[in-house]
Amino acid sequence: MKHPGSVWAVLAASLAVLMAAPAGAHHSAAQFDFSTPVTLTGKVKRIRMANPHMRLVLEITDDKRGTRDVEFEGHSLNNFYRSGWRPDMIKVGDRIELRVAPRRDGEDGGYVTGVKTADGQEFGTGTTQRDAESGR
Amino acid sequence: MHAVSDEARRRRCAPWRTGGLGAFLLAFATLAGAAPPDFTGIWRTYRGAGPFGTDFRASRLEDPPFTEEARRKVAEYRALVEPAGDTPGAFCLGTGMPGSMLGSGAYPMEIIQRPEQITIIYEAHTEVRRIYMDGRKVDPRDIVPSRNGFSVGRWEGDTLVVETTALKEAVDQSTAHSDQAHIVERYRLSKEADGRKVLTAEMTMTDPRFYTRPVVLTKRWQAAEEGAMMMHYECNEPQWLDHLDGLREAAARQE
Repeated sequence: MKHPGSVWAVLAASLAVLMAAPAGAHHSAAQFDFSTPVTLTGKVKRIRMANPHMRLVLEITDDKRGTRDVEFEGHSLNNFYRSGWRPDMIKVGDRIELRVAPRRDGEDGGYVTGVKTADGQEFGTGTTQRDAESGR
Repeated sequence: MHAVSDEARRRRCAPWRTGGLGAFLLAFATLAGAAPPDFTGIWRTYRGAGPFGTDFRASRLEDPPFTEEARRKVAEYRALVEPAGDTPGAFCLGTGMPGSMLGSGAYPMEIIQRPEQITIIYEAHTEVRRIYMDGRKVDPRDIVPSRNGFSVGRWEGDTLVVETTALKEAVDQSTAHSDQAHIVERYRLSKEADGRKVLTAEMTMTDPRFYTRPVVLTKRWQAAEEGAMMMHYECNEPQWLDHLDGLREAAARQE
């Protein structure tokens, strides 16, 4: 995921996974560390607010790994709606801030529990691993 | 406008004048002493008094009294799904009973109560249960087993008693059960000191194939705030959209 624009390769790979196992691109909540949330900022490349989990691709730049597209999943559309998200709050190209339970293996990505939008609106919740695990 | 005399009002409201099943039920309720409570409405997570309002989930089944068969099947299932963390929910599939009931509240549920049928809609995965209150008898051979089973209900005073059978074997939920499971839920309304309306269900599951003794769990909800709305729970749509994207890409390659 190091090349700019590789999001399409990622999405094609996701599509292959989806075809092999419907909706199977969902990841285990156990692989995310909910006890040490981190804050990440980047540019939205793609967002799909959905159930049971939202999906988001963010272009992130840092000293450690440079600029790359990172794929996240997070709370459901319904949960984010109830915590303040509304349609059109996040658009492709926006710079947003995510509150994320990072992956335990240290790789890019994670589980999004909260968002601060380009114009400073916040939504999201504190979360427990059980909420994420339930897939509900 | 003429004032309606008390006598006329009594006649108009008399149960034998309302006709059919309604008359029977109304007469029955009158004989029983009182109309049953109304559970109609939207119910959500009960927030307890704990530091994080943590007293809201169903009581947990610690150390389930599994039979050997259940232990083997559940272990086999977990070994299959745990590496990838797969769950039915991630595949847009509802939990089924009793998980649909025990898990609801994190997403709200709506109860629609009619004398002859109580319908429960769990927002998550839009699971629906119909509880038949009309005393119908159905030959078990005519019922297709399903994840939420077949439910009939009755009133015992102000308690709604629901019996559920015709369940499929389910190892893919935290309260695993066999196809022999028989679930009894007892629902009651109460009021908290702070005025909140609370609905409590005590669930007893009997399943000699999977459990060495009946399993009892308690679940609580509180009435959702005025104006609360249920939401759609569209879950398969991303798959469909991905499929359409795939078709578009394929079409573009052909041009």
